[in-house]
Amino acid sequence: MTSDRFSSPPLGVLFGIAATFFALGITVNVVVLERIESEARTFVAAVVVNAATTELAYLAVRDAGGGLLAALIAGWVVASRFGLLAASLGARITVGRTHRLAIALQSFDPNVGLAVQHDTQRDVIRTFWRVTAAMHAGWWSGTIVGIVFGNVIGDASAWGLDAVFPAAMLAIIGNLLRDRAGLVAAVIGATVCVGLLGVAPAGVPIILSVGGAVVALGIPTGTKK
Amino acid sequence: MSWVVVAALAAGVALQRVVGMFLGGRLMTRYPSTARLASLIPTAVVAAVVAQLTLTDGTSLDADARQVGMAAAGVLVWRRAPFIVVIVTAAAVTAGLRAL
Repeated sequence: MTSDRFSSPPLGVLFGIAATFFALGITVNVVVLERIESEARTFVAAVVVNAATTELAYLAVRDAGGGLLAALIAGWVVASRFGLLAASLGARITVGRTHRLAIALQSFDPNVGLAVQHDTQRDVIRTFWRVTAAMHAGWWSGTIVGIVFGNVIGDASAWGLDAVFPAAMLAIIGNLLRDRAGLVAAVIGATVCVGLLGVAPAGVPIILSVGGAVVALGIPTGTKK
Repeated sequence: MSWVVVAALAAGVALQRVVGMFLGGRLMTRYPSTARLASLIPTAVVAAVVAQLTLTDGTSLDADARQVGMAAAGVLVWRRAPFIVVIVTAAAVTAGLRAL
């Protein structure tokens, strides 16, 4: 656990997260709009589903000829990591039900990943909401740009935008990887996930990556030199 | 993706977040030994997401310029480069290689 580098996310980090979600908003919504051909539904889905991977998983299964129920299940399962992230954050905070519910509904990888790096509840919650605000500023503006200018932008991967999200996630857990236990959790979690792709149903490899955290419990905490 | 599907996806995702927060969080709070597990889970899950988005096309291993971009990002993270430098470099390297 550390709070030196991210005691309060610096503006540069918040700007980077907003930029990441701006790129993600464009990338995802260009794809979704192309598939469902409705600006209104693309926008509402971006806002209320509140999970880009869920939308993409649903469309991927439908594109592959899968049935409605199979596509819905795939969409739900890939979002299960948000439940795990919410649980890990829920164990760190003691706030009222309404506040807890609001935090639950906004639990994503970056805001939980950065929040849990703090020791005090005040810092955890402050970091969570600041990162959440940055994420939404980027996501909403990127969604609008993706829907309005999707035809002009074309293939977002030609701009390297598909590398932005994983790079941002890597930067977010970079601090945690300097701890031996964190490194073990990450390496095993990533290995399990990649190893099970194509074997296990969509989303399940991500759930089973939690095994990395379980194994890392046996590793003493300590910063790598 | 009909309106009903949008609603169903939204409800399923929200339900998992709420269950995770209220049930999972409560279980972890009740058993203090799980506190460390709670702090390690995000690392394992986010690393898995990074690996999946970097090394695969979603279903199988895939060789792509994105991996070179992510390698550059990895070096910058290791060297503690600013966040914005990491993501801009990853995108620029990936796009540059694809343009070749």
